[in-house]
Amino acid sequence: MIEVRNVCKSFNEVMVLKDINVLFEQGKTNLIIGQSGSGKTVLLKSIVGLHDVERGEIIFDDIVFNKLNFKDKKEMRKQIGMLFQGGALFDSSTVEENVMYPLDMFTNLSFTDKQDRVNECLKRVNIINTNKLYPAEISGGMQKRVAIARAIALNPKYLFCDEPNSGLDPQTAILIDKLIEEITEEYNMTTIINTHDMNSVMEMGEKVIFIYKGEKWWEGTKNGIFDTENKELNNFIFASKLSQKIRDLKNRT
Amino acid sequence: MSFFYHVGKYFLLLNRVFARPEKHSVYYKETLKEIQKQGIDSMGIVAIVSVFMGAVITIQTAYNIENPLLPTYLIGLGARDSIILEFSSTIVALILAGKIGSNIASEIGTMRVTEQIDALEIMGVNSASYLILPKIVASVIFAPFLTLLSMIVGITGGWLAGIAAGVVTTENYIYGIQYAFVPYYITYSVIKIVVFVFLITTISAFYGYYTSGGSLEVGKSSTKAVVRSSIFILLFNVILTQLLLS
Repeated sequence: MIEVRNVCKSFNEVMVLKDINVLFEQGKTNLIIGQSGSGKTVLLKSIVGLHDVERGEIIFDDIVFNKLNFKDKKEMRKQIGMLFQGGALFDSSTVEENVMYPLDMFTNLSFTDKQDRVNECLKRVNIINTNKLYPAEISGGMQKRVAIARAIALNPKYLFCDEPNSGLDPQTAILIDKLIEEITEEYNMTTIINTHDMNSVMEMGEKVIFIYKGEKWWEGTKNGIFDTENKELNNFIFASKLSQKIRDLKNRT
Repeated sequence: MSFFYHVGKYFLLLNRVFARPEKHSVYYKETLKEIQKQGIDSMGIVAIVSVFMGAVITIQTAYNIENPLLPTYLIGLGARDSIILEFSSTIVALILAGKIGSNIASEIGTMRVTEQIDALEIMGVNSASYLILPKIVASVIFAPFLTLLSMIVGITGGWLAGIAAGVVTTENYIYGIQYAFVPYYITYSVIKIVVFVFLITTISAFYGYYTSGGSLEVGKSSTKAVVRSSIFILLFNVILTQLLLS
């Protein structure tokens, strides 16, 4: 469980996050949605500690993460896995080396054990026969899956995904969504996903937070999102012609 | 104010760089990779530049001492001192600033803009130390060998050019390079190159590490790294010469 309490963050005196309060539950896929520039990436990066917040608390299972000292924060981060928008795989390392990296750094396993764990993680994300390839030699969808494999290599308690579907075709995007959802259940992790993809919301929105101009504007589930009266959220959801058509069809029936 | 801000930021980065490594074996492997990339891969360019510079220094020295009262072994002596005192440390460092400096800044800068550094931080790795410390250690270890290589190849290049141009005989050139030789000059040159490569790696890493934006900014960081490193090499050349030779 991750709790965000009264979090505020600004850049150059411009308030980007305004008093955010939210509870992300364990074993669920929690989604943060919002327009580009609404502050959702800043919120995600503030939760994982890549941005220091000015005010408020970020609590990981009773531990106030943002108040920890550098050493304890580093220790805590070993329980965190993160999938970045572009995958953030190390270009100069092979797929195998990428997934093995956290094991090399933080475990004393033998090379064979590390290799077994790497293969296990790659198999879990349905990647085979690519161990010796470099990130540039595999597709965008495969890069995302390798990044997931790297993120789960140390069995993290918390998984963060920053726009996991960006740059992917709808079918691959659904595969990635399903994979994240399955892994969340399997490892009983607290997963937070940052997205503006409505397909993802419909696939795995067990809890959805809508951020609008740096404020938490709406909170609910994928089932409640289409029935909301919230004007800004409706504008966001029904921005595309396709979603407007679906809404009209739904209203007619 | 901006200058002091950047100097402060640079020293804060160094403070993080010299923190205790998470795992020595991983850092050791990285250092070996950097020795290959920064040291061994630079031997070719250092050798090529040194042989031609040695040749030019010899020919220029010869044409500047055409007076028959001056012995021709002075050509060897002049070439030797120019190469050892100045060329093999300062000019080689300026060449390395272009090769290694731009490589470090663009590599780390690209890692920054593609969130690879964020990924390291999220894993709990001290990204500054992991990315920069092996580069510093590798360059400081290998640079003296590059300087010695430059001295040997430069003096040899001078000899070949001197013979080919007919401005000095082999006997006179060898006598000249042995005449009034001060071994401390080599120590002085090695000290200089160690300081210079430390400046190159840390300044370039600093500009790479704090890159923000996209590929355009990576290019700008790379250019800044080379320019600033070169300026500091020249500045420290004066300081070190005053400190070590006066």
